[in-house]
Amino acid sequence: MAADLTELKEMIEAAIPGAGVEVLDEGGGDHLRAIVSSDRFEGLSRLDQHRMVKAAVAERFEDGTIHALSVQTSTPSSQ
Amino acid sequence: MAANPELRAQVESAIADNPVLLFMKGTPDAPQCGFSMRTVGVLEQVGVEYGAIDVLPMLQPLREVTSEIADWQTFPQLYVKGELVGGCDIVEEMFEAGELADLLGTEQPESAGAASEQSGEESPNRSGGNDGEPYQSPPMQIEN
Repeated sequence: MAADLTELKEMIEAAIPGAGVEVLDEGGGDHLRAIVSSDRFEGLSRLDQHRMVKAAVAERFEDGTIHALSVQTSTPSSQ
Repeated sequence: MAANPELRAQVESAIADNPVLLFMKGTPDAPQCGFSMRTVGVLEQVGVEYGAIDVLPMLQPLREVTSEIADWQTFPQLYVKGELVGGCDIVEEMFEAGELADLLGTEQPESAGAASEQSGEESPNRSGGNDGEPYQSPPMQIEN
């Protein structure tokens, strides 16, 4: 089953309020890329930034909807 | 679910024993996943010695272990000096920024910017100050 990109975007937005979120399908509907920009990443390591994004959609990993999620994080001030 | 304590101990000692250790799907010579392949490609370009563990034979148990020890569930995972650096995205990002070479204490190859585009080509800068071919350990065998 292909992932619902809008649902994933909403899951990330709910977990990281105020974030700018883009979720792209990079192939087959289960290899996705999430591009997330948020002030809340300020001061966090890349690892922690990625953990936040992946935790937001963990449910969709567990149920097998997503096979792989590439994550790109940034803070608005670093763009 | 709690990780198998014996497996966790083996993983922890592998991380402690290998200054640069990659948990990957497949082996450096035959990666079984595009992300693992890309991460191996970065390590080859950096020209660092590293150990590699094929996670495929024990995927789920190893996932449980890395969830516990590093709060990270997906593979590949690169550990340097006992610490999780990240997966493919972070490793590539750090490589392109020159941060990975800093962390590993190696020279940044001149071709770094082309890391993502490169496919199937031999690293062109092998002669540029690297001391020989990167060493690859055989995959760690973990008994069930």
